[in-house]
Amino acid sequence: MGIQEQYRNEAAELLSSGAVKLVIGYGEGSTSDRRRPVFIRSADETARLVLDANCIANLSGYLVPEGLLSDGKSVAVFLKPDGIRSVNILAAEAQVNPDQVVILGFDIDGGQASPLPGRKATDFAPLIESQKSTGLSTELQQEADQLELMSATDRFEYWNQQFSKCIKCYACRQVCPMCYCRRCIVDVNQPQWVNTSSHTLGNFEWNIVRAFHLAGRCVACGGCDRACPVNIPLRLINHRMSKEALDAFDHFAGESADQKPVLATFRQDDPETFIL
Amino acid sequence: MAKIGVFVCHCGENIASMVETAKLVSTIADHPGVEISTEYKYFCSDPGQETVKKAIREHNLTGVVVAACSPRMHEQTFRKACAEAGLNPYMLEMANIREHCSWVHTDKKEATDKAIEITRSLVEKVKRNNDLQPISVPVTRRAMVIGGGVAGIQAALDIASAGREVVLVEREPSIGGHMAQLSETFPTLDCSQCILTPRMVEAIQHPNITVMTYSEVEEVDGYIGNFSVKVRKKARYVKMETCTGCGDCIQKCPVKKIPSEFECSLGNRTAIYTPFAQAVPNVPVIDRSRCTYFKNGKCGICKKTCQIDSIDFDQQDIIETLEVGAIVVATGFQVQDTSGYGEYGYGRYKDVITGLHFERLASASGPTAGKILRPSDGKEPQTVVFIQCAGSRDVSKGVRYCSRICCMYTSKHAMLYAHKVHEGVSQIFYMDIRAAGKGYDEFTRRAIEEDKAGYIRGRVSKVYEENGKLIVRGADTLLGRQVEVQADMVVLATAMVPQHDAKDFAKKIGISYDEYGFYNEAHLKLRPVESSTAGIYLAGACQSPKDIPDSVAQASAAAAKVLGLFSKEHLEREPVVAMVTESTCAGCWGCATACPYNAIDHRDINDRNGNLIKRVASVNPGLCQGCGTCVSFCRSNSIDLAGFTEKQIFAEVMAL
Ligand SMILES: Cc1cc2nc3c(=O)[nH]c(=O)nc-3n(C[C@H](O)[C@H](O)[C@H](O)COP(=O)(O)OP(=O)(O)OC[C@H]3O[C@@H](n4cnc5c(N)ncnc54)[C@H](O)[C@@H]3O)c2cc1C
Ligand code: SF4
Ligand code: SF4
Ligand code: SF4
Ligand code: SF4
Repeated sequence: MGIQEQYRNEAAELLSSGAVKLVIGYGEGSTSDRRRPVFIRSADETARLVLDANCIANLSGYLVPEGLLSDGKSVAVFLKPDGIRSVNILAAEAQVNPDQVVILGFDIDGGQASPLPGRKATDFAPLIESQKSTGLSTELQQEADQLELMSATDRFEYWNQQFSKCIKCYACRQVCPMCYCRRCIVDVNQPQWVNTSSHTLGNFEWNIVRAFHLAGRCVACGGCDRACPVNIPLRLINHRMSKEALDAFDHFAGESADQKPVLATFRQDDPETFIL
Repeated sequence: MAKIGVFVCHCGENIASMVETAKLVSTIADHPGVEISTEYKYFCSDPGQETVKKAIREHNLTGVVVAACSPRMHEQTFRKACAEAGLNPYMLEMANIREHCSWVHTDKKEATDKAIEITRSLVEKVKRNNDLQPISVPVTRRAMVIGGGVAGIQAALDIASAGREVVLVEREPSIGGHMAQLSETFPTLDCSQCILTPRMVEAIQHPNITVMTYSEVEEVDGYIGNFSVKVRKKARYVKMETCTGCGDCIQKCPVKKIPSEFECSLGNRTAIYTPFAQAVPNVPVIDRSRCTYFKNGKCGICKKTCQIDSIDFDQQDIIETLEVGAIVVATGFQVQDTSGYGEYGYGRYKDVITGLHFERLASASGPTAGKILRPSDGKEPQTVVFIQCAGSRDVSKGVRYCSRICCMYTSKHAMLYAHKVHEGVSQIFYMDIRAAGKGYDEFTRRAIEEDKAGYIRGRVSKVYEENGKLIVRGADTLLGRQVEVQADMVVLATAMVPQHDAKDFAKKIGISYDEYGFYNEAHLKLRPVESSTAGIYLAGACQSPKDIPDSVAQASAAAAKVLGLFSKEHLEREPVVAMVTESTCAGCWGCATACPYNAIDHRDINDRNGNLIKRVASVNPGLCQGCGTCVSFCRSNSIDLAGFTEKQIFAEVMAL
């Protein structure tokens, strides 16, 4: 039995036993290699679920709409390791109760989706721990290294060009599971910290704010990077911030459901390299 | 409609000589919302304040900007003036065109332009100010003094004698600090123990003082008037309540060869011990790491010896939480570890010692009963070389400062040596003789003139051994030649440095420190005994190297500050506190984690039937210190600071 079959059955069982009220998974998309989220509420609908190597989106963001979990009932969700880490962050930030989240975990390797054992976020702690010790993505690091080689002026020019393309569609924000704020800072107009028009200054402001708001929270699911209609390499910004958080503060986003936000905590041995 | 009054002060010539005030006044007069703009020589003077009050009444002003000095100087003055004229005091802003402008610029035109911008930006801010009411918080009128050296003892006694309760926390088994180790003290040569022990006894017997020895501060929460301090009382394994201090256990303890910390390893102690005979309290402690019973369960002789069963091997550390309104930090200093100085041979040659060792040798209660005997063979040294600034004023040793006491105690040592070894020859290598206290220069003169201290101006390059003698090689810079002196003993005047854990301790209790680890005063000249944190005061050598007179003076000054704070039952606090916009708060608790004062709680928002709608952050205005950390954390801008709202700051910045 393939993983898709296995997880369809499992979803059906969770629903019919009443263990969960909803299964958030993947369904067919607009083209053969695209998947879109589907929300399954009864066992006979589970045939709509698809699970293969094209299921790359991080579905954890669908757990946070206000009211979804307030009845205390559980929801099952298909998640890759990055998604499991975001559930941990959402739990750490009190946006979901991890006890209400049943994880149908899987990973994609060599063009194949394979199941991951465990149902609760805590079951995946060893997996996440090993990811942390492996470190951040080497591919991304290589790409980032190219940027680090540039002079500061050149690098600034590079980002200037990249950001000048931004049309402030906020797709990067909409797709990100961490961007659950009820009111995003860009929508604050008293005062208007972030310029709303998509000129270079406004774009810089937005992208820098986004980078900081995701520092130590981004799990590198790549959602924003794929969502960006003008192909700004957002992954490189996220990567840079994750690296900073890991190197300086030993902080790997989404390690556990009680992880403290890196920008809100102070430890006596924190490096003080920025204090002159 | 905003009606803002702008009052440009000349501050005599301080501002007017660099800023064209007339131009500032006329430019600001045209700024939207400015009702009246005027200048005067000294607005802080009585007639100046009257002008402000009159303008508020006559023009029905809604806000006031005084363009003058730093708000630290006169904000209170003008707030009061506003209040007297019927305007909410928080509708005042100070535009600092002195420290931030006239004092730091040399170009009149540019300085004037800058003054205009600064003033304009505060006009924009004050337009968005709101009426605020001060917050009143109760004061816990009980103090904690941390560190039981002479400074801590003095501070505790002064506060207690004024009728307030004090908890004195000392981490060693006895109070007394370094002064208990000293022999006789400059500039009067009175015996250190003789003047200190009565104070120690007074402290422990004082009805208002609770002395907690062998105790360490673990955590400090809260704020001025309302601190909550966790103190760890380390297990002594001896019952304080019953022990009479007879010392039988100490006599019988078979582990006798432990180098005594108090004697600077010149003498030994037992595993159950008091650091010195006059220890206060006179109750021993068991050094768990050395005690045979704790190593292998055997021995227990002390327990058998004790007639009143005061030994308790099962004692545990106890954590006590104490509520206090003020804290005096008097954690003192330590002498620098001199073993890094290869050239002086410390650690290599037994007869190269530090000044503190010399104190113990010269002390009547010390290991040699006050005889100057050198450590290597117990013989009386006939020549002693003293090396001043051994560490101090030496960038390469990491101590750029002057330790302030070494010139004096070296003179003292030469005198004591002359008094005890009549034929002895003392030679002192020095850079300068710094003897600026009352009776101090006379003291060093006496050492030279009456006690034949031989002063050689210059640095020592090397100390080495030859034929059983120590050879001190150095330069005599007055005569411009190399000198070599044979010595039987060498005494290093090592630098006074912060306690080894000074920085960690500062972080624990939330005060700031300098590059070395000495604690920072709020203002070197005007607020020398206050730390950078309200309600925490400094006394003694933890703030900078100090001798006893200065330590004691600072301790009394700190006590006066504490008593000033305790003179009222309530404290008025600035209403600069955080406030949450509940409709947008996502309840992520980031602000609560970030808040250094634990001022943020969770608050449930329920519907009419009591069902939880959502949970949001809620600020306790009694605890909030208005630091703004939460504001900078909140991603959705759902928390803001009264008096410094983002709207105000934004307007201020955009007006530049
Ligand atoms: C060799 C030498 C000779 C001197 N001779 C003279 C002299 O003749 N005349 C003179 O005026 N001065 C002399 N001094 C200076 C004098 O020793 C100091 O001025 C004085 O001891 C400073 O007192 P203090 O209370 O600030 O610090 P200390 O005496 O160092 O006392 C600090 C106390 O705090 C305790 N403590 C530290 N950290 C903690 C903590 N975290 N929690 C609880 N307790 C803590 C320590 O155990 C200690 O008991 C001499 C100094 C030296 C080194
Ligand atoms: S910032 Fe982008 S990559 Fe990071 S968690 Fe959000 S969507 Fe995923
Ligand atoms: S998705 Fe791309 S274009 Fe859209 S706001 Fe984000 S960075 Fe800008
Ligand atoms: S940080 Fe902001 S959103 Fe989060 S709990 Fe605090 S006020 Fe609410
Ligand atoms: S301003 Fe915010 S972070 Fe600072 S003390 Fe108040 S509530 Fe805490």
